[in-house]
Amino acid sequence: MKISPYMAFAKKSFLQKSAYRLEHWMGILNTLIRLVIYVEIYRALYGGRETVDGITMSMVTTNFILSLGLESFFVVNDYYLSSRLYDGSIATEMLLPVSFHGRMLADNLGTAAFKLIFHFVPAMIVACLFIGIQAPAGPGMFGLFILSALLGYGVLWSISFLFQMFSFWLMNVWAVMTIKNVFINVLSGSMIPLWFMPGFMRTLIGFTPFESIYFTPVQIYLGKITGSEIILGFAKQIIWIVALLLLGFMVWQKGQKKIVVQGG
Amino acid sequence: MKSDTLHLSAVYTKMIFRSWFQYRVDAILRSFAVFAREATSIIVVYFTLLKFDTLNGWNIYEMLFLFSLVYVTYGILIIFFTGLRDFGSTVKNGSFDRYILRPRGLLYQLIFANADWFAAVGHGGLGILLFILSAAKIGVVWTPWSIVYYIFSIIGGVLIQGAIFLFLASLNIYLLETNSLKEVFYWNARKFAGYPISIFHKAIQFCMTFVVPFAFVNYFPAQFILRKEDMSLYPGIFMYLTPVLGIVMYILAYAFWRYSIKFYKSSGN
Amino acid sequence: MSFIEVQDISKTFKVNKRKAGIPGMIANMFAPKFEYKEAVKKISFNIEKGEMVGFIGPNGAGKSTTIKILSGILCPDEGKISVGGYIPYKQRKEYAADIGVVFGQKSQLQWDLPVIDSFELLKAIYRIPEDKYKKNLDRYTDMLDMNGFINQPVRQLSLGQRMRSDIVASLLHSPEIVFFDEPTIGVDIIGKETIRNFIKELNEKDKVTMIFTTHDMQDIEQTCNRLIIIDKGSIMYDGSLHEIRNKYGTSRELIAEFNEETRVQPINDVIIEDKEDRRVSFTFDNNVTDVNKLMHEILGKYSVRDITVKEPEIESIIQKMYTGEAFV
Repeated sequence: MKISPYMAFAKKSFLQKSAYRLEHWMGILNTLIRLVIYVEIYRALYGGRETVDGITMSMVTTNFILSLGLESFFVVNDYYLSSRLYDGSIATEMLLPVSFHGRMLADNLGTAAFKLIFHFVPAMIVACLFIGIQAPAGPGMFGLFILSALLGYGVLWSISFLFQMFSFWLMNVWAVMTIKNVFINVLSGSMIPLWFMPGFMRTLIGFTPFESIYFTPVQIYLGKITGSEIILGFAKQIIWIVALLLLGFMVWQKGQKKIVVQGG
Repeated sequence: MKSDTLHLSAVYTKMIFRSWFQYRVDAILRSFAVFAREATSIIVVYFTLLKFDTLNGWNIYEMLFLFSLVYVTYGILIIFFTGLRDFGSTVKNGSFDRYILRPRGLLYQLIFANADWFAAVGHGGLGILLFILSAAKIGVVWTPWSIVYYIFSIIGGVLIQGAIFLFLASLNIYLLETNSLKEVFYWNARKFAGYPISIFHKAIQFCMTFVVPFAFVNYFPAQFILRKEDMSLYPGIFMYLTPVLGIVMYILAYAFWRYSIKFYKSSGN
Repeated sequence: MSFIEVQDISKTFKVNKRKAGIPGMIANMFAPKFEYKEAVKKISFNIEKGEMVGFIGPNGAGKSTTIKILSGILCPDEGKISVGGYIPYKQRKEYAADIGVVFGQKSQLQWDLPVIDSFELLKAIYRIPEDKYKKNLDRYTDMLDMNGFINQPVRQLSLGQRMRSDIVASLLHSPEIVFFDEPTIGVDIIGKETIRNFIKELNEKDKVTMIFTTHDMQDIEQTCNRLIIIDKGSIMYDGSLHEIRNKYGTSRELIAEFNEETRVQPINDVIIEDKEDRRVSFTFDNNVTDVNKLMHEILGKYSVRDITVKEPEIESIIQKMYTGEAFV
């Protein structure tokens, strides 16, 4: 499988992102504002206390900085497939000598690379300077954190992948994606650190892929999980990616049959 | 309004409903998706206060009441201001030129020709639900005076946000993309507004009061009803300013809009 | 005073100029660069009531800027303009009530609703009295044969049907002047015929002044009597089609089909070219060579099966006017 055509797609989406300079700066501001809101809320909630349930304010802050930071460049386009089904361009895209899914991923990665450099990095610098982030629990932990973060992106992307494959049958893709994102937002730890979720919710979330997106990497970074727990965390991430992609492929095959039968 | 303008408003509304009715099931699903998306913040607050009990002295019901004002005002707002919310794409795809070619006021057409009922039902519905859930539990006796005050505050809140939308729409005439500005100056401000501004840094409080006055949409009107302790940090008169502020802001935004239309005619797009 | 008077109108635009690619993108984020483009340079023309005028020119020539100024969407930087006694950009609402505009590429109809609903909406917008509305509606829908689809949602219509609906939409309020921007683009041959005939009849019977911008030369040839050619912001030609033919379209092509393979002798001032199937083309200038004499000579010398004489198409005439310039 040649890499260069995919590089071309990635580069194209990278450049497209740069066309709107104001939108770009505002995007960074957007991330920082959300960060400030969450941190201030928890400062007020802590009301001067050192720790709550063994979690320090600094851990909470770090959770938010890392979650929102990762979120800023974990790019997924929920409407990649559906927009091409809607305007019929799926037909021509399928004829290209490149894998449709490969192209989809390359496209997202191009945008992700752009956001990593031009959105995540500046935002992180400002956040660390003005809000302050806790240092990783060790250089090894940091390396594992990066690895886990990459897997976390994989989980997020795979969720989007699976849901997108249903576009063949969905009348209203937007409604479904919006609701999917509600679940991700509430349950992934980026809005409520999962340490503060009631016990039963925590258990439930454990059975979903949601904690594998941001929370597992954050836990590793903070040293909140060690040894075998880290291995378990990685395993969960990988298993979810594989399971979601497999399911997604099965749905995709069914969808392919559908357009062939309908005649595009 | 002259009678034929009134008649046209009725015809616009009839057409909007006919269009909307074509969707049926889709309409319900869409409205629910908006509802769910907005409810995310509420769900988060619920779980957070499950753990922490109060936020700066505000309990869950008082928080719901505070939030409800944001959603109720937006639900009403979007019925009239959908055209302004989407003004960016209207200008981009050339539809605005068509409005200019019609013998009717431009702002009038933008307000009445379109209405996003999905958003109105999604936000408005959530707001009403939150109000119902909280109104009885916040320990307040509803007198005729407080009801009148509440209604005027809603209207004021709608006007304040309408003025912001109008101002941002006017900016679309100068800037290619204002979605990001909208994100910051409206949507993010709105996020802060769900929480009592007293928890935030003084600089943020200043912004929420004097730069994008969202605090007047829900925090100060809520304080009038609830009289929480943190109100002592602010001048008492703030609790009464909402309707006045709404009118003043709207007038200013309208003046800027007129100026911007002149600019549009001299520079095209 | 003419119905439309345009005097020395100029319009210049400010355009963002940064190279594509990564260096340009970074530069644009910190220091955007602008360039001034003169879209229209001191153009003048007068149009009388009831005329049918076609504006043609290459893309970027200034056609759409001129139309936008005429319709009141844009105001000129300099110059004077008056249409039917109005200054378009100054008296917008009153002016809009008397004009119609058809954009071939962008419908003004409600996408999800039946055509008739859009018409009802326009009736309210333009304050059309009930009797006038009924009269116009019935007349136009009959002439354009629309009863079959007038109750269908616009999104279900073919391009030709949608175009007809948009044209009717622009005429319901009996405007004095109608602007057409690419009104037959993408429409099939029969549809185009129907539309052109309708437009011609409206112009003849109701004296509606009509202005076209189009790339379709056949539209112009079949409907307009006057042609204004715009290029690079200035008027290159303003006159009748007839005049263009006489001035620039004097070449003729005579095609003779012979009964057998024939070697044709050269003729003065005539370009002779062999075609397949025993055909030979004779290209000459009508002013230089008398067609009768030429035909006489050919019929006399050779055994001829068939003869046709072709006039050049307006398109190629205009291309000749600008050797080297291509019209899309």
